[in-house]
Amino acid sequence: MDYGRRTLADRLAAEYVLGTLRGPARRRFERLLPAHRALQEAVARWEGRLGRLAEPVAPAEPTPELWWRIEARLFPSPSVVPWWRRVTAWQTATFASAVVGLVFGVLLLREPAVPPPIIVVLAEQPNAAQAGLRAAGFVASLAGDGKQLVIRPLDQAQTRLVNRAFELWAVPPSGAPRSLGVLAEGGTTTLITPAFLRDAAALAVSVEPPGGSPTGVPTGPVVAVGALRS
Amino acid sequence: MARIKLGDRTAFEQFYRATAAHLLGVILRIEPDRARAEDVLQEVYVNVWRAAESYDASLSQPMTWLTRIARNRAIDELRRERGEPVTAQRADLTAGDEEAEDDGLDRMPSDAAGPLALLEEAFDRAAVTVCMGELAARSRQCLALAYYDGLSHGEIASHLNAPLGSVKSWIRRALGTLKNCLERVAPGLR
Repeated sequence: MDYGRRTLADRLAAEYVLGTLRGPARRRFERLLPAHRALQEAVARWEGRLGRLAEPVAPAEPTPELWWRIEARLFPSPSVVPWWRRVTAWQTATFASAVVGLVFGVLLLREPAVPPPIIVVLAEQPNAAQAGLRAAGFVASLAGDGKQLVIRPLDQAQTRLVNRAFELWAVPPSGAPRSLGVLAEGGTTTLITPAFLRDAAALAVSVEPPGGSPTGVPTGPVVAVGALRS
Repeated sequence: MARIKLGDRTAFEQFYRATAAHLLGVILRIEPDRARAEDVLQEVYVNVWRAAESYDASLSQPMTWLTRIARNRAIDELRRERGEPVTAQRADLTAGDEEAEDDGLDRMPSDAAGPLALLEEAFDRAAVTVCMGELAARSRQCLALAYYDGLSHGEIASHLNAPLGSVKSWIRRALGTLKNCLERVAPGLR
């Protein structure tokens, strides 16, 4: 079947969302979906049209055990720790020794009255490989006066994207991440830091379309994360 | 959703608390067996956590995305346990069904909840009600049986005691009418 044909794609998407596309046709459709943008868009449009039909359905409270079962399956270890707090002691220690020299060097060049900069290492996440990156670690330095942030990849040669861009995010203790800006290609980026960075718990780098996320929140994989302590 | 994509478990739990009851309601319509419905719900959230990366905020609202995953899972579950088609006790479908306003979605956190977005959402919701009203009774009934109860073409035909071909064309006509009407009334819904 030629799924590229618009009307057919639209009809199949409609029956798929409605639930009447069944059997081999349904399985074939689900297989094709991840690779076909046109199909995804048609499905999304039909979700928008039909999705509201679900609103009047009476809610039913699940048994409390259900959440525990989900938790047990997804997070076998008992602790529920946000990911930025998982960037913990040993990693900090490892990186700290590595950056002490750098901090010291920077300190020597600075006026003694200005507080030292905060160095943040953004550790590579498992998503980096999926995004086709061979390396995705970053190091960021937040100026002592808090006005500027300088960030560069740890490995400039390997941390490269084609037709996509890295975007830096400030992650608050609660609420959605906020964009700090798109990073320059393959080098050092200097960003003027907005006030909300003061409250941020972590910095994160995601992969976005050129020019940055079209929605204002990360849309692509998060490839590097670093905890901020002020 | 943005925080769940970043792997934030607390955000995921909040998301579960805010959406699970509504979703279980949707699943129970299709899979009336409570234990099996909760199994489906469990699968849905395990999948959501694992597939959060594939959620595309530019394409769909979190709730419509989640509802689709849940309905698909429920339909898959029915398909799996085929052999004993569940048509015994179907809820009565009165014309008033679509108008019932107990939705709970108003209390749902939204990724884009500015006042303008809320206004547009209220407008879109009204548009769907208007457009459902434009459908012929038969078409509307077919749509409801397929959407709420997860019935296939064949099951709808035997439920309504109507020829399979008619059911297929009623549904196709219903979808076409709904689409044209929404494009006319609420271009924002695309």
